Amino acid sequence: MTKLQAAHHAVGVNNKKWAIGFSTVVGVIFLLNVFVLPNANTQVQRFFNAWFSLNSLAEIMIWILMALGLNIIVGYAGLLDLGYVAFWALGGYVAGWLMSPFLSQFQVDFFGNPRPGLEQGIHFNVFIVLILGGVFTAIWGIIIGGPTLRLKSDYLALVTLGFGEIIPQFMLNGSDIGGLNITNGAQGIGGLDQPKIFGYTIGTFDLPAKFLMVSLMAGAMIFFSIRLRDGRLGRAWLAIREDELAASMMGVPLWRTKFSSYAIGAVGGGIGGVGFAILIGGVYADRFNFVISIIILAMVVLGGMGNVWGVVVGATVLAWVNAVGLVQVGELINNTFGTKFNFPSYQFLLFGLLLVLMMLFRREGFLPEARMRMVMNEEKLEDVEKVTDDTKIGSH
Amino acid sequence: MIKPIKIGALALAGALALAACSGGEEASDSAAGGEVLIVGTDLPIQGASADASKSTNEVVALVLEQAGGKAGDYSVAIKEYDNSTAAKGAWDDAACAKNAQDHVANTNEVAIMGTYNSGCAKIIIPVANEAGLLMVSHANTYPGLTIEWDAGEPALYYPSGARNYARVIAHDGFQGTAAAQYMYNELGKRTLALLDDTQAYGIGLADAVEAEFTKLGGTVLRSGWDIKAGSINTSTFEKVKGQGADIVYYAGIFDNNGVQLVKDKTAVLGDNTVFPSMAPDGFSGYPTLREMPEAEGLWMTFAGKSLDGIKKGGGAPAAFIDAYIAKYGYEPNSSYAVYGGVAMQVIMKAIAASDGTRAGVLAAVFSGEPICLSAEESVSGMGFCLNQETGDVDTVTMTLQQMTGGVETDIRAIEVK
Repeated sequence: MTKLQAAHHAVGVNNKKWAIGFSTVVGVIFLLNVFVLPNANTQVQRFFNAWFSLNSLAEIMIWILMALGLNIIVGYAGLLDLGYVAFWALGGYVAGWLMSPFLSQFQVDFFGNPRPGLEQGIHFNVFIVLILGGVFTAIWGIIIGGPTLRLKSDYLALVTLGFGEIIPQFMLNGSDIGGLNITNGAQGIGGLDQPKIFGYTIGTFDLPAKFLMVSLMAGAMIFFSIRLRDGRLGRAWLAIREDELAASMMGVPLWRTKFSSYAIGAVGGGIGGVGFAILIGGVYADRFNFVISIIILAMVVLGGMGNVWGVVVGATVLAWVNAVGLVQVGELINNTFGTKFNFPSYQFLLFGLLLVLMMLFRREGFLPEARMRMVMNEEKLEDVEKVTDDTKIGSH
Repeated sequence: MIKPIKIGALALAGALALAACSGGEEASDSAAGGEVLIVGTDLPIQGASADASKSTNEVVALVLEQAGGKAGDYSVAIKEYDNSTAAKGAWDDAACAKNAQDHVANTNEVAIMGTYNSGCAKIIIPVANEAGLLMVSHANTYPGLTIEWDAGEPALYYPSGARNYARVIAHDGFQGTAAAQYMYNELGKRTLALLDDTQAYGIGLADAVEAEFTKLGGTVLRSGWDIKAGSINTSTFEKVKGQGADIVYYAGIFDNNGVQLVKDKTAVLGDNTVFPSMAPDGFSGYPTLREMPEAEGLWMTFAGKSLDGIKKGGGAPAAFIDAYIAKYGYEPNSSYAVYGGVAMQVIMKAIAASDGTRAGVLAAVFSGEPICLSAEESVSGMGFCLNQETGDVDTVTMTLQQMTGGVETDIRAIEVK
């Protein structure tokens, strides 16, 4: 076995271990909530509901989906995108349009699950909506990416920031576009159909099934992310990320390769948007702001740009801290020490501090990709090489 | 290399160990032991509405305290839920969805007091509805929550087919009706220039004004105003002047280019002594508007009783405000906070009239004798009964105000049936 084959084999084994770990955690959480917790005493139930509620865990899966989508753009292709929330919004509105009574001028039921008495509107099956959500956002990725991806670094970041602001604003003010109510403006679109999968309706209180559904979505995204990275396209993305000029000289079509990363990365946002809309039963324009884009970016950077499992860990940690961690840890500290700190209000201070510390001491993230770690530690390597050379010279 | 399976196993073991050791929840357990019924308040505790929510929770706590912690034969406790996140600094859809499930999962919880934002209510109502859990809001003014409005509303919030949601504040439709009645009946105006800001709130309000003014026999000249900051609207006013309008109504929010709008109106039609104008509570509370000489004499409505009105009204409501100040050292943050107390009073009446179960509490509001609060017992000084078909109050007190000397001065209360 050559060194290269051995390295590929090691990566494959490592991915397999992580995949088993992810599936095990999902499976254990599901079984725990279906069989153990309903029969546990109140104290245990309360603890899990406070610290690891299924709602929060399902939300974490959505964040993982989003972060993995952005990881394709930022982590793989090295394109800084500050407006990823736009894809979340687009995916959410696809669910709003195709799974609710909102477009009441139509009455379409295509393997959908409209509630009794609310048959007006468009009611597509959840699988179809997930596919259409991904396709729709990919198209928007192409539309946005087309004119912008010839830009580089700061300029690209600013343009994506612009799109990230424009699309949510459109959603917020889209209740009267040439006389058409497209988004219902600030009121949002509520009353989404309950998802029906192979004849089984996931009801309002069927949280384990909801969790399993979004976990499968996140699992699929993990699978495709890994497969893409290992494929020809993924290697082209990584080559562009490392050195655009060198990649170009080696025959990598720059624009087309960047373009594909933007379109494929957008799919994660779209599917996640559909999943999130289903989880909360609607889509509301208030959610889609710049802060969300930054949080997703922070998940990618802190987890380890380019490394799927690092991004999964980064998204899990930050999403948990954001949803329940700060509140619960704060309560625990306040109850223990009799203090009255409002920990959630220090969220951005803590996030900022964490980012600063990470940039100072572990720039490559929690679980960096090996290649990224080498790039981030290039200076140290150069120093080592220099010392070695000096030593060599001195030894002569 | 870190072994993910080990990490998962360690995390689970740690979680279980923490659960076993956790004793902090013991006090709450006794409250949830079947003796004490829980009322959950669901408000945005972080961000711009934090002060208003803090004050609302304090008012709710004081209402319960003054009742000796009991509603009828049942001991009642309050559990505060936060539907906001620090990241957004406002209500958050995911937090609302989680709270909805938590309300239902807390088996001793028999009612929800809230929410503050109608958007959050849209997420919580359907979940609570399927669980047969009563929800009473003190601040949701979006009409579609209780009456036909947008497509599918309000049915899409009530999947069980039965109602579970009520509110003690007037929805935007009431405010429009009150304004139309005042302009037609009391100011004697017959041709209304009705301008809306083309936003959801403004359009809804304008629809209500137009319907009532037309019903009364008046003529409505309706158009939208340009909300881009600094945009000139003089042509709109020139047009309505030519059509014989004798009053202007601004259906919308002052933030939407209100400064220029009011200036343009004065420039074309004259000040409010010559050509009167009226605005909803979307124009209330803006220091910029108060400082504008063009705003002098502007008629305004507020959906409910203002804090000033409650204090001046005397009696038990004013005494309640005094008790609040004595306990906390400051006034309630807003009128909405006081209406939180009214919502709590409704819930406590429902609990007192029930068998202590969720179904019983819900039935006490939506079947049998309607829940009513007299003006003397309501902490807002506003008497009403809840309509069992819609969950809205049957009588709404609006406060009529006029801008005098740079102050929104209460003129009187207007009752709308």
